[in-house]
Parts: sequence; structure tokens; C-alpha cells
Amino acid sequence: MSLFARVSGKFSRLLVVGALLSSVSASAVLAQETPVQGGTLVYLEQQAHTNLYPPAGGFYPNSGILNQITDKLTWQNPETLKNEPWIAQSWEINADATEYTFKLRDGVTFSDGTPLDAEAVAKNFDTFGLGNKELGYPVAEAINNYDHSEVIDPLTIKFVFKAPAPGFLQATSVIGSGLVAPSVLDQPYNELGDATKIIGSGPFVVESEVLGQSLNLKAREDYAWGPESLAHQGRAYLDAIQYVVTPEDSVRIGALLAGQADVIRQIQAYDEAQVEQQGYEILSAPTRGVNNNVSFRPENPLVADLKVRQALTAATNSEEIVSTLFSSHYPRATSVIASTASGYVDLSDKLAFDQDRAKALLDEAGWVPGADGIREKDGQKLELNIYESLPQPQNRATLQLLSQQWAQVGVKLNVLAGDSGSATTDNLDPLKTPLRPAMVGRADPDVIKSNFYPTNRDSLLQKGGTNPNATWEDPELNKLLLSIASEPDSDKRLKLTADVQAYLLDQAYVIPIFEEPQVFAGAPYVHDVTFDAVARPSFYNTWLSPR
Amino acid sequence: MTTLDLFGTRAPSRRIPRFDPTLVLSWAIVAVVLAWALAPGLFTPHSGTVGIAGNQLKAPDAAHWFGTDEIGRDVLARIIYGAANSLAGAIVAVAVGFFGGTALGLVAGSVGGKLDIAIMRIVDVLLSVPGLLLQLSIIIILGFGTVNVAVAVGVTIVAGFARLMRSEVIRVRQADYVEAAFGSGGRFAAVLWRHVLPNSLGTVIAYAALQFGSAILAISTLGFLGYGAPPPTPEWGLLISEGRKYLTAAWWLTTFPGLAVILVVLAANRISQSLRRSS
Amino acid sequence: MTQAIVSRIGQALVVLLLAFTASFLLLQALPGDAILIKYQNPEMGLTPEQIAEIRVLYGADAPIWAQYGNTLWNFLQGSFGYSIQAGVPVNTLLATNLPPTLRLASLALVLAILLAFAIAFAATLAPFRWLRNALASLPALMISVPVFWLGIMLIQIFSFRLRLVPIINPNEFQALILPVLTLALPIAAPLAQILIRSLDEVEAQPFVAVARAKGATRKGVLWRHVLRNALLPVLTIAGLLFGELLAGAVVTETVFGINGLGRITEQAVSNQDTAVLQAIVILAAGGFILINLLVDLAAPLIDPRLKRTVGALA
Repeated sequence: MSLFARVSGKFSRLLVVGALLSSVSASAVLAQETPVQGGTLVYLEQQAHTNLYPPAGGFYPNSGILNQITDKLTWQNPETLKNEPWIAQSWEINADATEYTFKLRDGVTFSDGTPLDAEAVAKNFDTFGLGNKELGYPVAEAINNYDHSEVIDPLTIKFVFKAPAPGFLQATSVIGSGLVAPSVLDQPYNELGDATKIIGSGPFVVESEVLGQSLNLKAREDYAWGPESLAHQGRAYLDAIQYVVTPEDSVRIGALLAGQADVIRQIQAYDEAQVEQQGYEILSAPTRGVNNNVSFRPENPLVADLKVRQALTAATNSEEIVSTLFSSHYPRATSVIASTASGYVDLSDKLAFDQDRAKALLDEAGWVPGADGIREKDGQKLELNIYESLPQPQNRATLQLLSQQWAQVGVKLNVLAGDSGSATTDNLDPLKTPLRPAMVGRADPDVIKSNFYPTNRDSLLQKGGTNPNATWEDPELNKLLLSIASEPDSDKRLKLTADVQAYLLDQAYVIPIFEEPQVFAGAPYVHDVTFDAVARPSFYNTWLSPR
Repeated sequence: MTTLDLFGTRAPSRRIPRFDPTLVLSWAIVAVVLAWALAPGLFTPHSGTVGIAGNQLKAPDAAHWFGTDEIGRDVLARIIYGAANSLAGAIVAVAVGFFGGTALGLVAGSVGGKLDIAIMRIVDVLLSVPGLLLQLSIIIILGFGTVNVAVAVGVTIVAGFARLMRSEVIRVRQADYVEAAFGSGGRFAAVLWRHVLPNSLGTVIAYAALQFGSAILAISTLGFLGYGAPPPTPEWGLLISEGRKYLTAAWWLTTFPGLAVILVVLAANRISQSLRRSS
Repeated sequence: MTQAIVSRIGQALVVLLLAFTASFLLLQALPGDAILIKYQNPEMGLTPEQIAEIRVLYGADAPIWAQYGNTLWNFLQGSFGYSIQAGVPVNTLLATNLPPTLRLASLALVLAILLAFAIAFAATLAPFRWLRNALASLPALMISVPVFWLGIMLIQIFSFRLRLVPIINPNEFQALILPVLTLALPIAAPLAQILIRSLDEVEAQPFVAVARAKGATRKGVLWRHVLRNALLPVLTIAGLLFGELLAGAVVTETVFGINGLGRITEQAVSNQDTAVLQAIVILAAGGFILINLLVDLAAPLIDPRLKRTVGALA
């Protein structure tokens, strides 16, 4: 939790609530200032949003907008990770987690005036849970085993599942479960890239946009249904938020330091010192999901051998990567999932850096050093390809460092920097890409399934997943993953989560590198930017002191 | 088209040839860079591709004259080792443009008639399709890598060479001695080879020197858009484009490779100018 | 004469058709496909069968000659097809993105021409030899700098250090200054080189001596004669630089975060959105061919000596 401690006092009024922060108590005095209403926040985004269908909110530029314009049934407290009332005032879950009944708050409306009632919620979750082929809506990643909804009365709704869905309560609080007016979901999926078509009940509404370039939100005057446990109720403090897409890293940071912007997303570790030196603040929050990693595709014969995968795990010095490229906001990975994630167990002994062991394992597997230092077996070189992943922080540098480390045990790792077209095609073919960088953020054990299950993100490229020609699968892993998604007992669920972490590392399917945070930077006069459990910023509490 | 004399083939020189320090300096720059390309190990003790962890983003000092990059690699070493890639890239690009373009221009200009029109229409097509788009498409089709990027850049400069060569051939053909060679019964191909080609090449070679600089820049721009050589290849254009992200934290990452490109391009320009004058 | 013009226009149309065909084949040869790139996204959770259905929907499974015929027929009717990535007709995409790029490019061209004249005259008329030489090598320096680097440096210096122009929330005028400058400098360079050479030539002409003997000032003579002599090469080069403008726009728009044709081009290449690329190629090729046709046809009006040869011009 040292991540939060790095957040300076002025930003952390909400965070102070948690008892985690001893180091900021001195500056907490500053946080006693009374919030001021008014002003426009200028927010620089690295990439343009793509689609604002709430389940598409996994993409940060989408969620940065969705989080301001939509509300959710429940609010996951970022400190306790418990779900608290928001649009739902209370809820009941049956014993085997196949039926959820929510009582809704009265008087909530969407910004077009239509009521946010049980009918509207039903329409939302039916679409999220089942998709809509005709209009092109995919099924939401966070929702498993969904069957149907039942409207009991205008303010009571029941969801019924085909099999236990213990992750559903948490799923109602994620960015992908933002509630939108039913009319939004009658439009074809492809048209939801236009932000002005998204009507939510959130504290801000979309005022105007220039597609791919900028977006303006304005505060909703009659907003009166923020999460109950927040100190701040009623209208947002800010009058407006302006999003400006600024792809160049140096331009974003320069604009912030030159006073042209108030908050920017995605600042790299090497720029942090500069930002702090000039009195600006680094805002960092953990994503609590599957750590930044490289995943193997065991169908590729080069990495089909467990010994080779174990050797490469032992040849990876994640400590060196973190200390060379990153800052204290990026803790070294000690398991498949982050130490802040639910169900985490410390498995650092399985991830120890040991070059001798790596060499011994490769020798055992029959790979012997060739004339050029690269290991060979049956005339084939141990040469692997990996595409850099553009959204991940400093991924190109990370992979180059990894390549240097592996070279020391005689393995060649080629880092490819392709266009997204070639990368998409090649990443589906395990023979072309034996490895792939990956990460997912979500504060529920289901996140492991999201990353590895064939019909989800299919990180290992299993049979029945995204690669139509796949023949490889690990039925045991899939059984474990499915059981997490449908184990109603939460203690047993955490145990299963621990088991699957150990299984993944024992099979060496994945080499975790670091716990990926989202790092933002803000001007000194910006106060109380808060983050949800997976680091999506919320500007509901944010205010600007007079400059 | 009327590009015939745009390149200034017949521009009268108002300066008398003499010792020119900028020209000497230009050749010196080219010589140094060539030496880097041929024997980089002689000029730096550091590696061009492998960094030293813990040594990252160090400002220029006595040990690392141009500083170090994000994974602790010496920037000067990257520039020195990168010379081979950048020069090779530019040479391949210019060679593709030169041989392709010269052949087309020579045939068009010497045969004339329908074939001339046909060839020049093809050249027009090449010119009319936006060069950058053509380059990006070719790279995607051929795959990534220093040579493929160079070929892509080369294809887009074929048209310029073809036009220039054609106009030169037409000019030379009209010269009295060539007319005389034809008139005294010389075979077409022989006259072409002995008189037309040598006399029209001067300007084209000067143009090649000029294109050499542009090719380095074009390769660099492709690197900026993410279509450059794969890492950790040290290539100047890639160094500039990767280093730009660190502009606020480490100015040396993009500035020194940038200066290297500027100096070589300026030198190539200057040499091109002197070749043109003497031709 | 009329026959020559008709033949020239006919040739231009042939070039346009060839450009269409060549680019169609080139785009077909791209290894990935837009449908896969767009829909092969784990968050969408589509099965390979569903993706195949989408492919049929877009007509992407038809034989290549049928697709060629269809595309050509649609282009002739002014319909550029459907962008798979953006999910809107290409015409809509162009309608919103063409105007900003046209404005940027035309202003940059005007600025480039002004700069070129300024540099050329300064390099010829400046008082000291060293100053003239320095000015004469300025164009070479200007084309030695990568455009993206120039853009980023201009932002760093003028917006962040000197704080003269904001880059975020600029007014309409401020929004254009740095991008136009970024685009104009590399284009001004070759123009300036041509002009410097033209000035050299004009000064060496005997009529200059005569004119000056009659009492005309040096500046006046240069100005009057250079304009006529330099106009043609400048126009020709400007026509050839049209393609450069698009390439420059790709980079400039990326650096400055402007929406325009350049940015669309880059994204379309990356996503292999062939319909968009095909339309951009035809627009650019059409523009290029039209401009060069106009230059060719105007050439004899500017320089009567060329009248005879208009038909032979390439």
C-alpha cells in the first residue's frame, strides 16, 4: 500500500479515510481546506476513446470518460474492497450465489430525464450479460453465467444465473457495469463511439466532442445520488471537464508543467522526478489485477517443454527491470496477481532469479550453447519472438532488458515493434509469437479467469479460444479457472485463487514482472482526484483552489 | 515535365573552383561516419546494444560523452554502431532509386516514342501515390527490418531518378558529338553506353548524394511512426524517435542522434552541390 | 494545340486509373485484414465463426476481381465505401477530416513560398559574403531536420519555454502557428534552393547589366525578372511537393494532436482499413495529377517558349 503513501496530501483527502496512511498525516492538515465550487479541469489523455459501451471500459481512455458520466449499482470501497450502496440501496444474495436481488434508490434519473428504475437496470444487465448479436454488442467480460433478469417492482430487480456467480456483486461496481439510459442500448454498437449518444446518470454529462481530439463534460446540476459513504454529496465541485487527446508523452508533461493542463494520464517513471521537483503531484493507484507479465504459448514447440519455461522464469531478473526502468509506484511482482488484489498469495520463491538454475534446466532439456552463444537443439536455435505492447508502460524497454537477461543464459529474444495489424495477426499464431506481454486490472479473483480462460482473453492461446487452429489446452487449468468463477463460498474461492496462482507458476505459463499502476500527474491547485479500486480516475470530488 | 532544368544542370557557376573548407569538412564527416560503420569497435569501448543496469539515463560526462539511455546503453556507442545501419539503409534506398530510376529514365529518354510515354506514365503513377503511404504499405508487406524499410524508401524515389535521367539523356542526345556519333554509324546501344550514359550520369550522381540525406530522414520518420527497424537495433532515425519520449527528462537521447543526422545530411548536400558544379 | 491538351488530359485520366489499380493490388497484398484487427479483440469475445459472418457482411469474401469491379464502380459514383475501423462511411470520415488538412496544407504552402522568397532574396542581397553564404546554406539545414523532431522542438521552445503559444486550448490563430510552421519549413527549403539558383542565373544574364546601366536598381531588376523566370520552376516544384504535404501532415498531425487526413492515413495503415486507404490514395493522386496538369497547361502562358512542346510534356 506504499503506493498510496506516495500520493501527496492534498490529493488524498479521500484516501486518508483509510488507515493506511501514516506518512501523510502531516500534510493531511492541508486537506482540511474547504472545497471550492467551479472551474474547468483540463485533462490530457494519451489516446482517443474508442467506444463508450460501458463493458468496453476496460480501455483506459474509455473508462476515464465513463467513470464521470455513469453510476453503478454498487460502489467498491478502494481501501476495504467491500461493495457499498450506490444506485442499489441494499441487496440480497441466495446461498449458492445464483440469485441476486437489488433494491434501487428512488428518484434517480438519467440526464435525458428518464427514470433509472428496475426496467432500465434490467435492460442494461441483459445486454451486458447476454450481448446482442443483432446490434453487435459483445458479452461483458466481468459477468459470468448470466441467465436473465426479473423486474419485481419499479425499484426491485432480481438477476438469475445459470450457475453460481460469486463475482457478480463486485461486477456491479466495475467500470464495465456503468448504467446507461435504455435508449442508448437500442443503437448499434458501432455508433457508441460517439460520446454525445451516451446518456448516463452520473455527475457529469457530455456536452460536446470533436471525435478523436477533444471532449467536453459539464456538471449535472441536479445530481444527488453519489455513493452513500462519500463525505461529498450533491453536485460535483467542478463546472466542467475538458479532455484533450495528446499522444506525445513529452507534450503532455510539458503542457502540465507550463500550466496549460491540470491533470494528465500516463506519465512515465522517468518523468516523475521532474514533476515532483516542480511542486506538481504524482497520483498513482494500483490496478489490482493480473500483473504485467509475459505469457507463454505452450503450443509453440520451443516453449512446450516445462523445463524451458522454468528456465526462462529463472533467467528473468524482475528486480533489475523494476529498479532500472521504473519507480516506487511499480512494485516487483511476487505472484501472478498484484499484492493488492483479492486472493493474492506471496509466491516469490517460485520466481527467484537464478541464472545457474536456468542454465542447468536448459541443459537438461537438451538445449546446448551453439557457436554464437545461442542454445541449439536438433539444429534449431532457441530464438523467440515477442511483439511490444504499446499501452503498457515502457514495454519496449522492459522487453529489451528481458532480452538482455535471457541472452546471458543463451536464449535470443527478438522484440518486434510492428504495426497493430501485423501484431494482431501474428499474436494469434503461437508459432510466430511464443510469448506475449499481458496484464488485466480488476479487483476480483475472476480477473485470473479473464486473462487465461480461452473464451476470455485467452493469454495462452488455448483450443476453443481466439486462435481457430489451436490444438493445445490445459483442462486442469480451465477447470480451476471455471471453479473460481462459480464458487459461491468466498473462503473456498480465495483458496482456489491461491491454487490457480501456484498452478500457473508451477507450470511456468507466465512470468510476472511488476504490479502495474496507473500513474497520473496533477497541478498543485488540483485537489481530491480519487480512484476506484482499479485506478480509474473519478472527478466527482475534485476541486480547484484559486490560482 | 518541366523538371528538366529545375535541378540546375545548366546553372552557370559564378564561383571559381578553389579550396573550400566546408567541402573538406563535409568529406571529413562522411569519412568519419564511414569509419564508424566499418569498424565501430575502434571508436568506443561500449556496446551498441547491451546496456548496464543501474547506469540508465546518465547525463553526458567523461565516461559517457553523450550520456546513457533508459536501459543504460552509451548513446555515443549507439550512434557509432548505428552508423552502419543508417548508412546501409540510406545506401540501399538510394541504390534502389538510382538503379531503378536510371534504367527507366535511360530507356525512356533514348528509345522515345510510345515506350517513353508508357514509362513516364508509370513514373507518374509512382509519383502520384503519396510516398509515405507507399512506404508504409511496402513495409507491412515485406515485414519489418532495416533492409525492408530501406527498400520501401528506395521505391518512392525511383520516380525522381527516372525523370532526371530521362531529361539528361534527352539533353545529351541533342549534343553535337552524340549526333555525330550516331551520324558516323555508331550502333545505338554502343553510342548509348559510350556517350550518353557517362555524360548524363554526373547530374544524376549529384542527385543521388542529395537523396542520400533525404533517405536518412525518411527512414527516421518511419521510425517515428513505429515502422522502423526492430529494437535494439541502433539506427539513427530510431534513436531520435525513441529518445523524443524522454525529452523533458533526458535531452541528450534525442539531441545527439539528431545532430548526427543533421551533419551527415548537410555534408551530403554540400557534396552533392560540388558534384553538380563540376559535372 | 487543342489536340495536345486533350491528349494530356486523357493521359492524366489513364494515370489516375493506373494509380487506382496499383493501389488496389498493393492494399490487397497487405497480410492482415481490417475485420480481424477490429473484431479480434478479447473484450468483444467473438468466436471465429462470428467473425466469418461479419466478413460476409462486408463483402470481404468475394473474389478479388469482383471486389475490384465493385470498388471502382462505387468510386466512379462518388462512394468510397465503408470504414471498418471507424464504423462509418469513408465519405463521412473524409468530410470531417479533409478540411483541417487542406487548411493546414494550403497555409503551409503559402508560408513556404513566402519564406523561400525571403531567404533567396536575403541570400543574394545580404551585405556580407559570409552572411550570404550562411543564408544560402539555410535551406540545406532546414531539410536536414526530421519533421517530427522539428514539431516537438517548436512546441518545447515556443509553447513550454517561452510560453508564447499555448498548445492546449489555443485560439484558432494560435492553433495554426506551430503546425503550419512545422509543415512549411521543410517545404520552403527546396523552393528556396531553386530560387537562389534562379537569382544566380538572372544576375549572370547580359540583360541585367544592360538594365542596370540604364539606371535600374539591382533589387528592382532582380525582382522584375526573377518573378517571371522563377515562377515556373516554383510552380512545378510546388506540384511535386503535394505528396510531401500529405506525408508532412501525417507527422504534424500526430505531433500536434490534430484530427485530419494525415492522422486518418496513419491509423488506416495501422489497422489495414483498406477502404479508407484506397480513398486517400485516389484523393491524393487526383490532387497531384490535377495540380501537375494545371502547371503543365499554364507553363506556356508563363513562358511562351514552351508553347510548341506542351504535348510532349510529361
